[in-house]
This record gives sequence, structure tokens and C-alpha cells, in this order.
Amino acid sequence: MRPVIVVHGGAWAVPDALAEVSVAGVKAATRAGNVTLMRGGGALDAVEVAVRTMEDDPAFDAGHGAVLNTDGEVELDALIMEGRTLATGAVSSVRNIANPVSLARAVMEKTNHVMLSGKGANLFAESIGVPTLPTHALVCEQERKEWEQYKNYDIGVKELFRAQWAHDTVGAVALDSCGNVASATSTGGIRYKMVGRVGDSPVIGSGGYADNRSGAVSCTGHGESILKVTLARLILSHMDRGKAACEAVERSLRYMGERVQGGGGAVAVAPTGDWTACFTTERMAWAAIHGGILHYGLNPREKFKETLK
Amino acid sequence: MLPVVVVHGGAGHIPKDRAEISYVGVKEAARAAYSILRSGGSAMDAVVEAVAMLENNPVYNAGRGSVLNVKGEVEMDALVMDGRTLASGAVSAVRRVANPIRLARLVMEKTSHLCLTAEGASQFARTMGVPEVPEESMITDYARMRWKKNLDPDTNPMECQTGKMGTVGAVAVDLEGNVACATSTGGMTNKMEGRVGDTPCVGCGGYADNHIGAVSSTGHGETIMKVTLSRLILFHMEQGKSPEEASDEALAYMKERVHGLGGVVVVDPKGVWSAHFSSLQMSWAAAQQEQLHYGLYHGEDFTEPV
Repeated sequence: MRPVIVVHGGAWAVPDALAEVSVAGVKAATRAGNVTLMRGGGALDAVEVAVRTMEDDPAFDAGHGAVLNTDGEVELDALIMEGRTLATGAVSSVRNIANPVSLARAVMEKTNHVMLSGKGANLFAESIGVPTLPTHALVCEQERKEWEQYKNYDIGVKELFRAQWAHDTVGAVALDSCGNVASATSTGGIRYKMVGRVGDSPVIGSGGYADNRSGAVSCTGHGESILKVTLARLILSHMDRGKAACEAVERSLRYMGERVQGGGGAVAVAPTGDWTACFTTERMAWAAIHGGILHYGLNPREKFKETLK
Repeated sequence: MLPVVVVHGGAGHIPKDRAEISYVGVKEAARAAYSILRSGGSAMDAVVEAVAMLENNPVYNAGRGSVLNVKGEVEMDALVMDGRTLASGAVSAVRRVANPIRLARLVMEKTSHLCLTAEGASQFARTMGVPEVPEESMITDYARMRWKKNLDPDTNPMECQTGKMGTVGAVAVDLEGNVACATSTGGMTNKMEGRVGDTPCVGCGGYADNHIGAVSSTGHGETIMKVTLSRLILFHMEQGKSPEEASDEALAYMKERVHGLGGVVVVDPKGVWSAHFSSLQMSWAAAQQEQLHYGLYHGEDFTEPV
């Protein structure tokens, strides 16, 4: 089995100013995940490493670089899932930690629960020695400025603004040499979200899903719409019934657009190694490594190739 | 065949002395919801009313009567979904509200979000004027007794979840053919602070789509999540399975794949319904065509006029 890793940096109208760093970020994350796979690491390790790389990169709205809620605070959501046993871990609305995806993995491995939320998630982080960071350590100058500038605008402007900036989750899926798949998703959510708002990212079947029998998916886009159609599970139900990854994702995104008027994107990999990165938003930074070739793109129908050195 | 409502009071294993009373509340809730539907009320109104009644009833693990977390506190989860638009609302790990299901509906109707959690959910409740109730008023002697018993280090972790029925929920189809679901719970006893189960997760604790049907789930939350039980049942129904076949197939899969037990109530848009479970018991009641059906053990289907 030739390993595959596919990552995304969020489906939204990525502005030109962020285009280059976003593509560089997803390429770096894919390489990091691929190194794990090449050393014989599992799919679960690979997706965690890839997502951590993007959480640490301020170009993305996850971990470092997260957006602020209405109270000017950072609340993060993450999900990780392993396709062999369907073991899953998630955190929602956890505050001020650098790598929510690793905390989600700790929920999976060290508790008998799937999801911890709010203060309970932070208490768990403390109990296993995960440090809490000051808000200014996670939020970049640009985000603070944007937040200050727009916080006084009325709701209408906020809604418009949200539509432009809302969609900046990161995620990864992988298939390892043993045929195991895994998925991980992490986000800071949307700017000016209400305190305690939970989007699709930490919700199993919506923000992501992984099952060795059908494949792995990580989603991004308008969270509330993704939840309404349980996008990750929907994509896999098409793959279960024999659709290619690309067709399954396209069909599900089209359905989401028609039924609940939501835009988004997803990366997916099948147990056969068939993979895809698709979106209905203006842009989505994505990258994949399969068989020694690095694939990447940002604009619709863009697919560049590089041979790995 | 329309309208129809099916209510459950949780799947699990309950002692004999508490079995009898678990029928009473679900029958009352099904009757109340059915009367709303018959007078032209919406499926959404009916399921929310049925679940709110069960939350108010201390016999069930939702609202008053909820199980306690490891610290001896009440944290609740709830979800509603409207099959016409797929609009949904949820709250998770929320404290000190009498009816989490009504708060979930407010999230759906008054915010641009779908789920609010923990302190954020409480903040939202305050801005909506939902009264904060004292924690003490939600805790029953029975819940406290079980919590204390489970703190004992010798407690068998599986055994400790028995003796208290799980989640409550309802599904309905109204006269216009709209479907809806509602699910509410206090979660699992002696859970970690902030633990969120299947109930508030769309596709796990419930799902409703006018094109397919509606489901409300109960049972072992973590395994329900791993198979996204509600959505799985509806995928089977989309492929032409009846509510009964789809429930059985999905529950069997959950048992085989992740060793989890649970139960579901399901309706399709035509009014075909089922109440199935893989656990030892599930208290349930359904109302359709002026008949009230109810049961607790496998194979039971008692009927009486509504």
C-alpha cells in the first residue's frame, strides 16, 4: 500500500495577501505528515503532525493565528479519528492552548469519552500537563486589529464580513502502508462568533470521519451548513456505495449548496489510495503527497505537481 | 397515517422497582405531543413539548433527574432538528436551565449558530431571559445516591451506568408531512466535567430530513458517536429500507463494530414508525390513528386508545 496524505488550509475567499503563505503552509504540513508515513508511522500520527504544523503556523485560523470571539477571546475546536477502530477524540471551545488536535488525541487515548468541552476541556489539559498560553501568544497583530476595527459595526456588516472571512479551518487525511486511514480537523472558528459557539470541526461525521472500510474525510467551510448535512459522513456514504473520492465530494458539496446554501470544501482518501481535494468556495489551499509526487493548489481546477527531493 | 409521534425515555438497564414508573412518563408525553399534532401543531412543537415534559419528570435522565458528573454537578446536552429546512439547534454541557431542549430551540431560532456550549450556552440563556434554576432543584436523591455509589473505586465501570435510563427523545410527523426530532440528556453518570456525548451532535443523537425521516437515539453515547447512529439509519432508509429494518441493521452494526448498545425511535414522512433497541430495555410510547402504543422490554407492544 502506497501511503497518501492530503491536507487543506480552509475553504474560503483566501485574499491575495495570504495566498502565498497559505500554499507554503499546506505544502509544509503535507511534507511533515509524509515524513511520518515514510518512517513507517501510522495514519493517525501523520494527520496529527500535519495539523499541528498548521496550528503552529500563524497563516491559518487554528492554534496560533486563531480568530477572536465577540468577547475578544480565543476558543478552539478539534477532532481526530482513527479508521481501524473508529476511535475518536474531540475538544470544543477549549481556550488558549497551542495544539488542540493533540488534546483531542489525548481525549481519545486517555479518557473513556469522545468529546470534552469548555472549562472541562481546559481542566483535562491541565491535568495532563498541557500548558495554557496567554491570548496574545496565540493571536496575531493583524487579527487583533481586524477585531478592534470591526467590533463596533452593526450586525449586518458583521454578517457580510463573516461571509468573507468565516472559513478557515485546517485538516488532514491519510492512508498508511498498513491500510489504516485517519482524519484530523482543527479550527479557531469564525470571527465574532458567540462565546461557546461550536461549529462543525469537532463534531464527528460533520468536521471529519475516518473508517478503514470506506475512507477518511476532513471538511471546511460554513460550519452550520456542514453540520446540517453531516458533510463528512455524507461524502463517505457515497464512497461506500462505490463513488470515486472526487465524485463523492463534488456531489456532497453540490447537495450542501442546493439544500442549505452553504459553501465549503473537503479532502478525502479511500482505502484504495484514491484521493481528492475539492471546494465550492473561491479558494482552498490544499496539498497532497502520493507516490513521491507533491500535488497542490489554491484556485479552482488548479493542480500543480512537484517531485519530492 | 399522519400525524404520528414516537417518544423514548432512554435505552439501558433499569431495576425492576423503577421499571413500572418509566412507562408512565413516556405515555403522557406521547399523548400531549399527539394532541398538539392533531390540532394542527407542527412536528417541531410536538417533539419539543414531549421532551420538555420528560425533562420536567424526575424519573428520566434529562433536565430535573439528570445524572451527576464526577464532581456531583449537572451538565446537560440537547438537540432539535427541523426536517423541512435541516435547521438545527443544540446546547452542550449546559448548567442550571430547567429545559435544555427549549434552549436548543432558541439557539436554532435566535442565533446564526447551531451549537453553543458550556458557559457560552448559559450566557445565551441569560440574554434570552431563560431563568437560571438552582442546581439543587435539578438533583434527585436517586441521582445523588448513584453518584456516591459510583465514586467507590471498586465500582464496575459498566455496571455503574445501569440503574438509570438514558437520554429522552421524540420524533414526529405533522399533518403537513414535516418531520422533526428532539433529544435531551444529563449524559452518563460520573462523567468527566465538560464531557459531551452523542445527544447534541447532529447525526448522532438525532437527525431529521423531510426527504427521508427522523431519528432520536439513546444508549452508550461514545459508541453512538463513532457510528453516527441517526444519520446511519437514515442512509439505510434512503436506500429503501423500512424504519424497522434500518434501525435493526444500524444497531447490529454498532454492536458488531464498536460493541455498543442503544435504542432509537424512527419515523418516515409517510408515518411508518419504529422503536427498536439492542439494550435490555427502552421505555417508549407512540401515538397514531387514535391508538397509543407502548413498551419497555423486547417484543412488547401494548395498545390502548389515546
